[in-house]
Amino acid sequence: MSVELNGVGKSYGGTPALRSVDLSLGTGVTGLLGPNGAGKTTLLRIAATSIAADGGDVRLLGRDPHESHAELTEIRRELGYLPQELGYPSDMTTFGFVEYVAVLKEWDERRARHREVRRVLDLVGLGDLAGKRVSRLSGGQRRRAGLAQALIGSPRLLVLDEPTTGLDPTQRAQLRRTLSVVGHESSVLLSTHQTEDVAALCERVVVLADGQVRFDGTVVDLVATAVGQVWLTDSAVPQAAVTWRTGTGRHRVVGGPRPPGAEAAEPTLEDAYLLMLGPDAAPLPA
Amino acid sequence: MTGNATAWHADPALLSAYVDGRLDAVLGASLERHLDRCAECRSAVGPLADRSLLEQAWSTVRERAESPAPPWAIRQARRLGLSEPTGVLLAAAASLRMAWLVGSVVALGFAALATAVSDSTALWPFLLVAPLVPVVGVAASYGPADDPFEALAVTTPYGRTRLVLTRTIAVLVTSLPVALALGLALPGPTWVAAAWLGPALAMLPVMGAIAGFAGPRLASAVVALVWTGTVMASVRALPETWPVEARQQAVYLLLAVVAVAVILVRSRRTRRIGVVL
Repeated sequence: MSVELNGVGKSYGGTPALRSVDLSLGTGVTGLLGPNGAGKTTLLRIAATSIAADGGDVRLLGRDPHESHAELTEIRRELGYLPQELGYPSDMTTFGFVEYVAVLKEWDERRARHREVRRVLDLVGLGDLAGKRVSRLSGGQRRRAGLAQALIGSPRLLVLDEPTTGLDPTQRAQLRRTLSVVGHESSVLLSTHQTEDVAALCERVVVLADGQVRFDGTVVDLVATAVGQVWLTDSAVPQAAVTWRTGTGRHRVVGGPRPPGAEAAEPTLEDAYLLMLGPDAAPLPA
Repeated sequence: MTGNATAWHADPALLSAYVDGRLDAVLGASLERHLDRCAECRSAVGPLADRSLLEQAWSTVRERAESPAPPWAIRQARRLGLSEPTGVLLAAAASLRMAWLVGSVVALGFAALATAVSDSTALWPFLLVAPLVPVVGVAASYGPADDPFEALAVTTPYGRTRLVLTRTIAVLVTSLPVALALGLALPGPTWVAAAWLGPALAMLPVMGAIAGFAGPRLASAVVALVWTGTVMASVRALPETWPVEARQQAVYLLLAVVAVAVILVRSRRTRRIGVVL
């Protein structure tokens, strides 16, 4: 197992962010879904050795990160991490930015390091922009530069905090292709607000809410929880758990009693996610 | 090869001879001129070329075009033995700290000027500023607010602690020569030009030890405040060189030893991943 969490908890100033989380991840792509404040970033930071858990057992790549600095360093040698917020020095080129991180990841031999930097830049489609200053890249291009640094050295554990933020549909499709290849040999744990990314990419999905795991299983299993609870109606249904007017002018109704005259609809991952979080959940951004 | 360049095409034997380097200079140059203007011949010559040779050439071109040239200071440091990877890290740090470097030189310059114009009757401006320059410089290269890579550095095998120490050394290397040179240029006792190094080198581990509890910003503020108080107190009632005299140097050494011990104990006991200093 690449990530093993048992009873992991974390609080900030007395406010719990994670409450006794159990999670085991092997090879493949796992998507982490949850509303803002659910604890996704905290969970990812623990998996990336950025912060320590307050309690519980954490094992990453078969090692205990708290045991010693040597163990911690061994984990970090096989880890790639894309934080939610990443600073980009304005006076650095894209190549220079990724190379800097490559040095931090102990790529000391210059030629091999440069080859690796070019490989990951090509992998995220930034090969032609290597010499461009980071400050002149678009938001999506910067995000891809951030992803490139995480891919240095083909890490066995890749932790990505909202990697699709700022990417257009074409770039997201490219990212999915890249990660699906990486996921064959590595463990990829990513958080996103895009349920279609999870549906298209992740073999496994974990729904986090209020610091706890609400669901842990395959995408198909999560979608199955909404079967028979999604309808299309011609008018609004106030008593529905979640409902909104779609682009066709009809209303999509998720949860609650079946409205009279409603037409049954095929549930999507987003329907199941909204149903799981209950009436407080707002539809995710498209 | 005369007439319209695209009206005729080089035969495969001629192209092969060109690729193999068997054409004389004139014929080779003439064919190159033709290739510039003839797409059909260009596409015909491509497959004849050695693929690995082309990739090697392209790799070299990319290497030259994409690899950022290190700043002058880093190139000189590498000639003196600085390792290439450390040069990459410091080149980035130097570019981030350019404003600080300029500021520190200006501050030192003004302090030395104030001391010089007083004809050495007022050493305190120099004694106050010189030890604080490396302290403030290290603090500025320490905390999350100053480092765009902070979130990444803590999760890499190189480690934040090593990065902080590397930058600390870089700050000392860039600031100490200027301060030492200005100190030597000042009127007054020559030993003062180097004596301020005692408190300066003691303040760094003290700041590191306090930073482990209170963060680098507050730690540097505390250290700067205490040093300012010490220097200003000596101005009123003691000889001006009192803060850097032998007995006080022993106190600074003791403080440095205690601070290093605190850092070491914390680094062994702490469970806060990524944080040692």
